[in-house]
Amino acid sequence: MAQIQKTDVIVTEGVTKVYAADGIPVNALNGINLTIQSGEFTALVGPSGSGKTTFLNIISGLDSPTEGKVWLAGKVLSEMSGNELSDFRRDNIGFIFQAYNLIPVLTVEENVEYIMLLAGVPKAERHERVIAMLETVGLKGVANRTPTQLSGGQQQRVAIARAMVSEPTIILADEPTANLDSKTGADLLEMMRRLNSETGMTFIFSTHDPMVMERARRLITLRDGRIDTDETR
Amino acid sequence: MIIKIAFRNIFRQKRRTILTALAMVVGFTLLSVTIGLSDGAYGNIISMFTRNRIGHIQVHRVGYLDKPSLYETIDGYTAVGAAIQAVAGVEAWTPRVYAAGLGSVGEKSTAVQIIGVDVPRETQATRFDQKIVEGNVLPETASHEAVIGKNLAKILSAKIGSEIVIFSQGADGSLANDVYNIVGIAESGDDATDRTACYLHIEDAQELFVLEGRAHEIVVIVSNINHVGKVTNAIEASLNDSTLDVAPWQVVAKSFYRAMKADQQGDAISRWVIMLIVAIGVLNTVLMSVLERTREYGVLKAVGTKPMQIFWLVICEVVTITLGSICVGVLLGTLANYLLSIYGITYPEEITFGGMKIKTLYAVVNARCLIVPAITVMLSATVVGLFPAIKAARIMPARAMRTH
Repeated sequence: MAQIQKTDVIVTEGVTKVYAADGIPVNALNGINLTIQSGEFTALVGPSGSGKTTFLNIISGLDSPTEGKVWLAGKVLSEMSGNELSDFRRDNIGFIFQAYNLIPVLTVEENVEYIMLLAGVPKAERHERVIAMLETVGLKGVANRTPTQLSGGQQQRVAIARAMVSEPTIILADEPTANLDSKTGADLLEMMRRLNSETGMTFIFSTHDPMVMERARRLITLRDGRIDTDETR
Repeated sequence: MIIKIAFRNIFRQKRRTILTALAMVVGFTLLSVTIGLSDGAYGNIISMFTRNRIGHIQVHRVGYLDKPSLYETIDGYTAVGAAIQAVAGVEAWTPRVYAAGLGSVGEKSTAVQIIGVDVPRETQATRFDQKIVEGNVLPETASHEAVIGKNLAKILSAKIGSEIVIFSQGADGSLANDVYNIVGIAESGDDATDRTACYLHIEDAQELFVLEGRAHEIVVIVSNINHVGKVTNAIEASLNDSTLDVAPWQVVAKSFYRAMKADQQGDAISRWVIMLIVAIGVLNTVLMSVLERTREYGVLKAVGTKPMQIFWLVICEVVTITLGSICVGVLLGTLANYLLSIYGITYPEEITFGGMKIKTLYAVVNARCLIVPAITVMLSATVVGLFPAIKAARIMPARAMRTH
């Protein structure tokens, strides 16, 4: 069993994921052992199909490993029930997706406050935190718009605000700049880097984007479901 | 927030929501009209059958109903009738004397059933006067006059003013025979009755069969047909006579009641079919909606929404559409039943049910024709909504977010 230190946010031990594609087993991850510590700004890189997204899904409890264990904030994910996992994700993980994945029927403010609402944060506090967070991500004045009334960059800012507003332990971002122009992507990355420095929140990205790789303090390269290189700068 | 999302989702795909609601509204209205017509028809049949013929409750000497006999009489029926009249819920009562005999008009003879009636009471209780299709009703005092059934008149080639000779046997064993002047021809709505019925004044019948002060049957009419059971028990308690049998119309006309119940079960099958059509329509659209939003449910779960909350989100959408549809259905169902209660549905030819002839079917507007469809539509929509709701709740976020 892995020795978990207080500063370890994520620990994986022999994480393997096998998919059945048309009945043929495909190894997406092959026994990954990895430790990520609090406050890291880490990028998972590698070619398409190397297992980046699968790994993010497994360390966040969105998917389960075929073999191996994941400790997140000291808890073993595979030992949690569906409800416990939901609560755990709500309280500890913020997600930023490539396709933004905002709830289209909710306004910007409602999208951002949704997680706090699930956590039972009082209305007045929710509103205050949402407004402050929207200001932080540069979206002052769009609180009442719906996602379809925003540009791609604005939607991704809302997704970042949603991910961060409840102050989770870790932010997992899957190709967050893939659908953005380089200027918007660079701005958002700078913003996340700043938030990482200011709040000490842990950021893990899966990316192909050289801009993200440049800014990452740790660069983990995956190849064929294995860690190829692990470089700290 | 879950309710807010559910509510907004409903207006997201307006066309689909309208289609789902339409299936429910049509189902509700069809069901409401089916029940309205069924209740109207049965209510009408029961009313005709009881009010015009057998009454709501009958009192006999014990055993008479199973084996009618000239000798099984209610003695002192006037006192019994007075006791019955004093019971709350009783509108009217009327005594009858029954006997079989041979009726002859001229050279033609046939078996007849002599029915001795108290004319004013019979008119008050079973609208006897309204059955007269030719001639007059019997006079209020005994006068050796008779009213015969329409079909009997044909069999005997009898006319108003003809004389009918009755041959039978008195309760004392003597030969009973007498001549009566035919003053009226009656149509009860039941062919079998009209082939044999020969109505005499009760005192004429009592005299003919040596049954002074006695009757075979007391017919009771209640103010509210829905309280027949309660009034039957009250009469039984009031009479407190073990020699008398008090029976509601459902017992008196067992075979008619059973035939009606069997027919109503047939209606229940058509209700199930309507329910199934609604259910399939709802399942189809709700399932489509859930499948289309798989990615969203995945996101909701990813950010911490519990499976049960996703389940309630889908159910909430279904229930909201259902409630809206029920409101529209209540309006349409009430309107349709109201119009059908006025104009009815007229058959090209008369139909016969339990001896009753029906030409036009009228609906009623009652609580049942709104409550049953409301429960049916709500239940069927919720039950078929369970499958998509469970499917949404059990979504694996990672897999769901891969769908487009």
